[in-house]
Amino acid sequence: MSRSIRNTSSLSFAVAVVALLGGAHSPASAQTALSGDQIVQTMGSAARAAPPGLTAALIRQAVQQHMIDNPGMPITWKPLELLNNLAQIDVQIQFALNSAIIRPESYSTIGSMADALHHPVLGGYKFVVTGNTDTTGNRKDNLALSQARADAVVEALTTTFSVDPARVEAVGLGQEALEDVKNPKNPINRRVQLINIGKYLPGK
Amino acid sequence: MIFSYRELVRAGLAAGLLMSLAGTVSAQTISYSEAGALLAQSCGKDIVKFCPKVNLGGGALRDCLTQRADKINPQCIADYKAVVASLDARLAAQAAVTKACRGDATQFCQGTAPGNAHYLGCLNAAKKVVSKRCTTAITNAGWN
Repeated sequence: MSRSIRNTSSLSFAVAVVALLGGAHSPASAQTALSGDQIVQTMGSAARAAPPGLTAALIRQAVQQHMIDNPGMPITWKPLELLNNLAQIDVQIQFALNSAIIRPESYSTIGSMADALHHPVLGGYKFVVTGNTDTTGNRKDNLALSQARADAVVEALTTTFSVDPARVEAVGLGQEALEDVKNPKNPINRRVQLINIGKYLPGK
Repeated sequence: MIFSYRELVRAGLAAGLLMSLAGTVSAQTISYSEAGALLAQSCGKDIVKFCPKVNLGGGALRDCLTQRADKINPQCIADYKAVVASLDARLAAQAAVTKACRGDATQFCQGTAPGNAHYLGCLNAAKKVVSKRCTTAITNAGWN
């Protein structure tokens, strides 16, 4: 299972932090290469604050627009760039084939996301959990599957792991925000992201 | 490794339970990540076998494990309950930190700017002098 943190503001590939985090030097790290603390640090980056007014609904609209503006083969697209500059991590969650059922080996990864979201440093922020597919299969089906998968992660976060549902929303990006544009079927494109979309203002 | 991860977590849960029974310290809690890892380790195989179409969230997994309880290995059932109890205790500790630490914050963290967990940073930095009640709440909240 690989995990990575995108830590530059350019349209870069995610930088693998597996090496940074080291190998299995403790039982906990063997289970969870990416800790909640690591996520907290990445997510709290003030330098990469979201533009005011960014919402899950606006991201969904941008995804629809991207599909209209970019017909044809994936290799000819520029991926959706709306979210690139925001504080975020890429997470590999294992799902059952063509379904939104989270495999048990990924429960602890979702737990790490919950550890971060429960930390007071991030208490003042809202987040989206995105789902991304590669370009295998039908584009619209991929969008629906990625939304269902993001929904499943958010449901686990907000029920089993008691994260405040007002602070986290699911957005399917389908195959519109590829990580590896040149190799659109590269499995690295299949990922879940946790993205800080700005200040949480209760009641809004 | 002498102990498996599961054994360590289980020992931790048992120790926390004993301490809470003794009334000295409130229950020690495990992180959400450790909770997920323990569920996967104790219940993963049974979930794939007996509950392959249910998800972790929304009570679906809990309901399936309950319905198929006759088929599920007892360690899974026991660990599932322990995980739920520990996560409940962690959530309660998170809710209790403000009250448990108010006096310490007033005493040791004057001039701290509110927001961005600055008070938490101060209290953690000052933990040698901060009250046991406050440090216990912070520890069980998973915020130290």
